[in-house]
Amino acid sequence: MLFASTIRSPFHRGRNAKVGIDALPKGYSAILAEDLPRHSLFPSFKDGIPIFASEQISYRGEALGLILGPDPGSCDELAAAARVECEEEEPEQEWESFSSSQIAYHYSAEYGDLEKMFVASSTELKEVYRNGIFDHHYSEPMGALSFWDKETLSVHCATQWPDDLRRRLSGALSLSEADIVVHPTEMGRTLDGRLWYPTIVAAQAAAASKISGKPVRILYTREEDFLHTTKQARSAVSIRSGSDDQGRLLALDIVILINIGAYNPLAPELVYQAASAITGIYSCPAIRIEAYAIRSNTIPLGAMGSVGATHAFFAIEAHMNNLAQRYSKHPAEIKALNILKKGQSTFGAPGLSADIPLDRIHRELQLVSDYPRKYASYELVKKRDPGCREGIVRGIALTLGYQTGRSFSEQSTMNSYSVEATLDRELKLLIKTQAAIGSEALKTMWRKTAAEILSIQEEHIRFLLPENTHSLPSGPMTLSRGSTVIQHLIEKTCRSIQKKRFRESLPLSAKARTRAPKASSSPEGLYPGAQLLDSASWCGTAVEVEIDALTGRPIPLAVWMVIDAGRIISMQTALASLRASTLSALALCTANDFDPASAGIDDYLADFNLRMRDLPDIHIRFIDPDRNGAAKGIGELPFVTIPAAFYSALTQALGLDPRQLPLKGGEILRLLEGS
Amino acid sequence: MIIDVTVNGVPRHLKSRSGDRLVDMLRKELKLLSLSPDCLQGRCGKCLVFMDGRIVHSCLVPAFKARATTILTFEAIAKNPEVKDIEKAFQITQTQPCPFCRSAKIMAIFDLLSRIPLPGEEDILEALDMVSCPCSDPLGLIQAVKLAAELRNKRKFSREA
Repeated sequence: MLFASTIRSPFHRGRNAKVGIDALPKGYSAILAEDLPRHSLFPSFKDGIPIFASEQISYRGEALGLILGPDPGSCDELAAAARVECEEEEPEQEWESFSSSQIAYHYSAEYGDLEKMFVASSTELKEVYRNGIFDHHYSEPMGALSFWDKETLSVHCATQWPDDLRRRLSGALSLSEADIVVHPTEMGRTLDGRLWYPTIVAAQAAAASKISGKPVRILYTREEDFLHTTKQARSAVSIRSGSDDQGRLLALDIVILINIGAYNPLAPELVYQAASAITGIYSCPAIRIEAYAIRSNTIPLGAMGSVGATHAFFAIEAHMNNLAQRYSKHPAEIKALNILKKGQSTFGAPGLSADIPLDRIHRELQLVSDYPRKYASYELVKKRDPGCREGIVRGIALTLGYQTGRSFSEQSTMNSYSVEATLDRELKLLIKTQAAIGSEALKTMWRKTAAEILSIQEEHIRFLLPENTHSLPSGPMTLSRGSTVIQHLIEKTCRSIQKKRFRESLPLSAKARTRAPKASSSPEGLYPGAQLLDSASWCGTAVEVEIDALTGRPIPLAVWMVIDAGRIISMQTALASLRASTLSALALCTANDFDPASAGIDDYLADFNLRMRDLPDIHIRFIDPDRNGAAKGIGELPFVTIPAAFYSALTQALGLDPRQLPLKGGEILRLLEGS
Repeated sequence: MIIDVTVNGVPRHLKSRSGDRLVDMLRKELKLLSLSPDCLQGRCGKCLVFMDGRIVHSCLVPAFKARATTILTFEAIAKNPEVKDIEKAFQITQTQPCPFCRSAKIMAIFDLLSRIPLPGEEDILEALDMVSCPCSDPLGLIQAVKLAAELRNKRKFSREA
């Protein structure tokens, strides 16, 4: 086997890269862009995304080639010694005021008479809310192993989307899809950091393996992974609202900017998901949204946790809290006034068929967190001690959010999940799905569901490995979107087999797949927001925060969540998943904002700031978890609601609105000093 | 240089380059794959080993400092009944650490329970802080450690903890 180390660009932006390599020792070789066919890995993305950059360098650290050899340490040294030249260009780092050439995707939607509603408003409020770049902190760095067996290419890679990886390799390396076998390897918590970037690493390993004729392994170091692979996108959301004298929203004029760095093939999805969630759970008669994915010469940036929705919920919830301040009202009061109700909708979509259970969630949340009393007492403390001189500074806030029942919107391949199940004569069930790359806890849940429907033993249910299910197309496995869809499909196939069982003899098979979106339901044709809500799971979250008087460090004291997610199949699994996600979401709020110009491994380590002993109390309550009906996704709920609640609690504690996340202790102290 | 060291009960003469860390040497020379040189700063905990009976981050130990020491890795303790207790506790509490930190978490808990058979919550938190991996439910982990202690004490002393 050969090891491979990556030759990286030292330039942020440039053209016509040339890589100079001294004579290599025996057994070592180099592979550059010129050795490969000039196919783009993601041709649908503006200008494409290459396996190795050559004509255009888009960010510092972009892969230009590989050094292959028998010793990984020597490969690292030889790759670091490679000389790179190019026609250097001025990098485009500015993205909040962008040029048209930087727009990778634009989405706009308008409903109602915006100007008329602004004229009718008694209060206007305009704010910009900013989110930083975060690392996914997944358990293992990126890597891929590739080898050829006669004419078949085998790729071992930790990817959330093996089906897409195979399709991309086929296109880029001019191979038939049937000649590629993708073996998804084990993954820890990926938080959507492995949706598409592993495809680049896998393609590099596959190309190197084809040229060298030997198995090739690429394995990034943690530092390399941290500095050069995809992270959560930076965003700036500008919200201008108009409201009546009670605080009822009349108009929302919103501009969403998402900095996707050098490139991101899922930019349309990111933008659309953010636009869909930007009105939150609120009703408003006139709305205009302009949403952009903006390119800049930094590392590729994209999804984390909830594919764009986090940016949106953070902005709208923070804005509603600011609106409450403007009216000198309790935030809960302003939110309750504007919550969508049965029959209402945003963007002229059909009205909601039932009341959203947010009123109930809101009430229960206030009860369990003691929110009204705490909020009032912290306000009193703040009024009595405006400069926070007396020591303990605390704040509490609650936010409301949802996770949609739909998986993805735009690209039909992202929504094509399928499941095939076969019950044999010995009452053993074989489930085939490309999505069987989830955790053991997930498979246990699916086994339990199938066993209940078919009245068979859980031990008699097995899943076919994803590499043997290439005939079944599949979308990506994200936090809980893919798994929720698969859960429904498993239920559907098992019910279908159960129906046939009394008429036909075993073995029996059934197939189920999600329908690809209709042509008319492209993002431009869809109404963002309300039409997704009928199948959503709902969540209210309260976060209590204390600020360390000496260091300014924000310390989350407690988190309360009240969730309505339909039937809960496994309470233990649901609680474990939510608690782990809660910690990741809290870490986001206090992590270092990744600065591509100066980041180092120390920044990565500094992000491990929530130690076990600093854990807040986490209280989770489900509404009617034993009811009949469908199970819904819950994995994204902490990412959707916690950043906004944390930010608002911090705002209350500080008595200032920083309008950005994350916030470190030093920044908080500077803010307090400045006040 | 050659480092004489006893690894998992076997005396070894291991090759090491200047600047190598203990974790590099153990992985490269002995293919001990339970160890992972990840953060290289003693934070992630995926390189925990016992060195002369003390648990250490092997990424923070220069390889030459291991000369004449006794090293135990997860491979050596994996069949230990104490480890079976921990694995059983993971299973019962449905707390499954990811494949990348599982052995490290077991090492940290193994060390804790061998020092403190009935650990308090503070002891547990201190032990779990040795491994920073966001994969698991923290409360589930605490429950798993308590249960592992119970199982261990029940097995060893035939009484409830």
